[in-house]
Amino acid sequence: MSYNLLFQKIQKWFIRQSLEHAKRTIFISISLTLLVGYGMRFLIIDDDLMKMLPKNLDSRKSWESIQQEFGSTESIYIAFGNKSKSVFNKKDLETSWDLVKKLRKLNSVNNIINLSTITRIDNVDGFLEIKQLQEEAVLNKTQIESIQDYLNKNLKTKKKLVSKNESFLLTIVNPNTLRGLNYFRDDVVGVCSEVLVDYKIHYSGTAYITGSIPQLIRKDVKFLIQIGLVIMISILFINLRNIAAVLMILMVIVFSLTFMIGSMGWLFRFTGSDKFLFALLNTSMPIILLTIANSDGVHVITKYFKEIRFLKEPKKALVKTMETLHLPIFLTSITTIGAFSTMAFSPLEPLVGYGICISLGIVWAWVLSSVTLPALIILQKWDVESKGLRTVSLFEVLIDRLSNTVLKYPKNMLISGLFIIFISFVGVWSLKVDVNLSSFFKPGSEIRESMDFMDQEMTGTMDLRIRLEADMKDPSILKKVDTLQQFIEKNELITVTNSISDAVKQMHRIVMDDSLVYETIPNEKEKINNLFSMYSLSGTIDNFSTLVNEEYSSGLITSFSQVMSTNQVFSFIEKISFYISSKFDNVSIDITGMIVVIRDMVILIIKSSIMSILLSLLFVILVASLFFKRFIWGLLAVLPLSGAVLLNFGLMGHFGITLNHITAILSSIIIGVGIDFAIHFIAQYRMFQKNNVKKNLTRKTFKETGYPILLDAASNMGFGALLFSSFIPVQFIGGLMVFAMISTSFGTLIILASLMQIIKKYILTN
Amino acid sequence: MVFLKTISFIFVSSFIVAQNSHEIALNIYTKQFPDDLTNTMNMKLVNSKNKIRNYTMKSRSIDKNRKQIIWFLEPKSDRGISFLKIEHKNRDDEMKMWLPAFKKIRRISSRKKGDSFMGSDLSYEDLSTRDMEDYLFNLKEDQNLNGKIYYTLESIPKKKLNSFYNSHVSLVDKITFNIIKEYSYDLNGKLLKEKEYTYKKIKMFDTLEYIKVFNVQNKHSTQIKFTNIEVNKNISEDSFSEQNLKRIPAN
Repeated sequence: MSYNLLFQKIQKWFIRQSLEHAKRTIFISISLTLLVGYGMRFLIIDDDLMKMLPKNLDSRKSWESIQQEFGSTESIYIAFGNKSKSVFNKKDLETSWDLVKKLRKLNSVNNIINLSTITRIDNVDGFLEIKQLQEEAVLNKTQIESIQDYLNKNLKTKKKLVSKNESFLLTIVNPNTLRGLNYFRDDVVGVCSEVLVDYKIHYSGTAYITGSIPQLIRKDVKFLIQIGLVIMISILFINLRNIAAVLMILMVIVFSLTFMIGSMGWLFRFTGSDKFLFALLNTSMPIILLTIANSDGVHVITKYFKEIRFLKEPKKALVKTMETLHLPIFLTSITTIGAFSTMAFSPLEPLVGYGICISLGIVWAWVLSSVTLPALIILQKWDVESKGLRTVSLFEVLIDRLSNTVLKYPKNMLISGLFIIFISFVGVWSLKVDVNLSSFFKPGSEIRESMDFMDQEMTGTMDLRIRLEADMKDPSILKKVDTLQQFIEKNELITVTNSISDAVKQMHRIVMDDSLVYETIPNEKEKINNLFSMYSLSGTIDNFSTLVNEEYSSGLITSFSQVMSTNQVFSFIEKISFYISSKFDNVSIDITGMIVVIRDMVILIIKSSIMSILLSLLFVILVASLFFKRFIWGLLAVLPLSGAVLLNFGLMGHFGITLNHITAILSSIIIGVGIDFAIHFIAQYRMFQKNNVKKNLTRKTFKETGYPILLDAASNMGFGALLFSSFIPVQFIGGLMVFAMISTSFGTLIILASLMQIIKKYILTN
Repeated sequence: MVFLKTISFIFVSSFIVAQNSHEIALNIYTKQFPDDLTNTMNMKLVNSKNKIRNYTMKSRSIDKNRKQIIWFLEPKSDRGISFLKIEHKNRDDEMKMWLPAFKKIRRISSRKKGDSFMGSDLSYEDLSTRDMEDYLFNLKEDQNLNGKIYYTLESIPKKKLNSFYNSHVSLVDKITFNIIKEYSYDLNGKLLKEKEYTYKKIKMFDTLEYIKVFNVQNKHSTQIKFTNIEVNKNISEDSFSEQNLKRIPAN
């Protein structure tokens, strides 16, 4: 059986289900939607940058082994104080003590570092003293001065825990890995708001941001869906002028959304895979499905209205509508699914889940538009004489005028369109890739302000971790580590580095009567052994657990930096890698941390974007060529959206919008959503061709499909809702998608229509 | 009348229980202890990933371990390091250390009780001698361990002690009054450590032969085996001097 025959059989079955078993069809659709939608309760919102990386990526593997060996490096940084007032006073230090006391009681907290938890090593009259830097809650003037003196002698410690102008104190809190970071964040913030009432508080660190994002995402998605729906309903109502029609389209949208989110929950429930976590980049998912589901509904309703206007018979009008639209709706759905499915090949984990779940949502939107929507239409009593059904809308008038202009001057139109694309495309050379989290939040927002504060006043929160596998008591290794730290610190954005070498140098100085001459790595291994043994008898050896493992067979160098641009990240890592390979022979070294993750993300995003564009275009060409039975149709189908993709990346370059893991999905969305217009246009053209319409073929196609295309694009202005997101990249997606809808719809109606008009002889004769 | 009888019964029975717990504690704390003790300690530390570190030390102590000197024999990298501890009642303890590679004796600060000894699961509080007047005792229901019934004594440190523990629950042998197992709870009341003790009778003294401490929270464990145990060798107080730190005694 040819696929044409099979398709016709399916089409007839679909129409029969809608017309003859309308109520049953609706009941089954509702039941299935509810069943899958129930999976929502298993949905987990999590935006851990590390979980986005492939599990076999070196930086992720190193990061995981560091977490196991040296404890969690994901922290919440709490800076509290009052501007222009020194924190070295009785009250602030007592508050810092109380904060630790309260934080220790939390189950979600594993480790706390601040002035009241760290130890000091002193040589007092030949008496080696290792004790708490802050020994009690309430301090007198002498004790406070002593802490200040010690910190001024040990600037690395001071840099880590006190702000530049000494007006803020920093507390670093590490989580217990058993509970989610959002619980950890909520617990910590809860305690801080209780203890730090009189202070200005800045929170930062990956654990805080990752822990805060789920709440922000939840708020954002809810808000965006509401705005998206308002925009869409308004546009639909203005044009369709029929409440029942708008409600039916709304039902398709809501059911598809429920199905998509539910299936994401079920998939997470059954696979437990990070791919199905709802991350920041998934925020755009509901709005995108909303517009896709809307497209199908709009095409069905507008076509039905057009048919009923002429046929005056609801059943006949519906059969005609569905016979015309089943193929294009099927094709638009399958090509959109194809475009999004290419994300399944993305090296970035959440993009895989994104692609799969949105595809499931599209499948359901297709089923609902093809079966359930017609069933609803047939059950509704339509007033054929109503204004909405009887009169043409504003868009239909507009389309009439546009078709006259485009088809009168096809060459001029084509050249103008291509020229605009070319001019925009030049911007691609200015396109930058940047995945730095700080740029995701609006300037002035709480998170952004805190991140900026940490950068300007404290050590910054971008980290670089270098793990060495070597004898960490060997003087030659410790000396190399020391020189590597000096090399890293040459970068002016690096604020502080820390390793076991620092501790050894400090202990050596103290043992040698606090003489600065001895703040060096001893030459003999025996001396280093003695220093460690001395510390283990007089200090808590656990203090070194973030610097060396228990066997001293591996060590960790930690560096903090202010925000680095992508270019700075690449050049910095390249320099360090070169230094390490030239200075460390026979030592196994892994480099990871946020700085390396950013580099890897950039590489993966570029790879992912290129792969997604090529694969989805290829898929669309193949499917369109197959169903329209000629390769030329495949090429013509991708023409408007290829233009839109070039236009999009060009504009991103022109307007300084960076490519990141969130905006990387744009090309898939543009192809997935934009292909619909071209397919509807070509399908109608082919239908006229099949029915032997020879005269004014392009014009008739233009008039027949122009209105739904325009209405579809206009109602897709729901993408504009994304402009109201709290996340800057999501806002960019909103703006760019609004533009992409205009460019793909007009690309179809101007470039594709004018080109088909120019080459119509070739199309018709072959 | 019934009410009065009930009240009297409760009062008297609680007094008996209190007496019992006190008596048991008294039996534990007044057990005879040798004047001096010499042994070799083999300390095995096992972390949560089953990685093992071994130490061998020689120890001499007098006055219920209040004066103690420890020489490190193994690992080789630590050989020669030694450590002198003198506990004082009313002032900070004295601690001195010999660093052979630097040829220097360094006094080190008295430790926070909660800190661990040499990275082991024994804190300095675990190692120091407990004084009966620093604790409140409760006798709990007897417990059966490996078919034998033991007293279960709860010891709650008094506030003045500034202990790092909330309480200890010890299983006490009903005949020898040796503690054979102990559960120690942290300040949040969560179980922190499980300790097991084995004793050897030497010259009428029950001397510790083996200790196993398991830190329930970080899954780290420490085992100490005492060998070459000798008691009452007439070790003089003068032995606990800086001079003796520099040389590992032959016996």
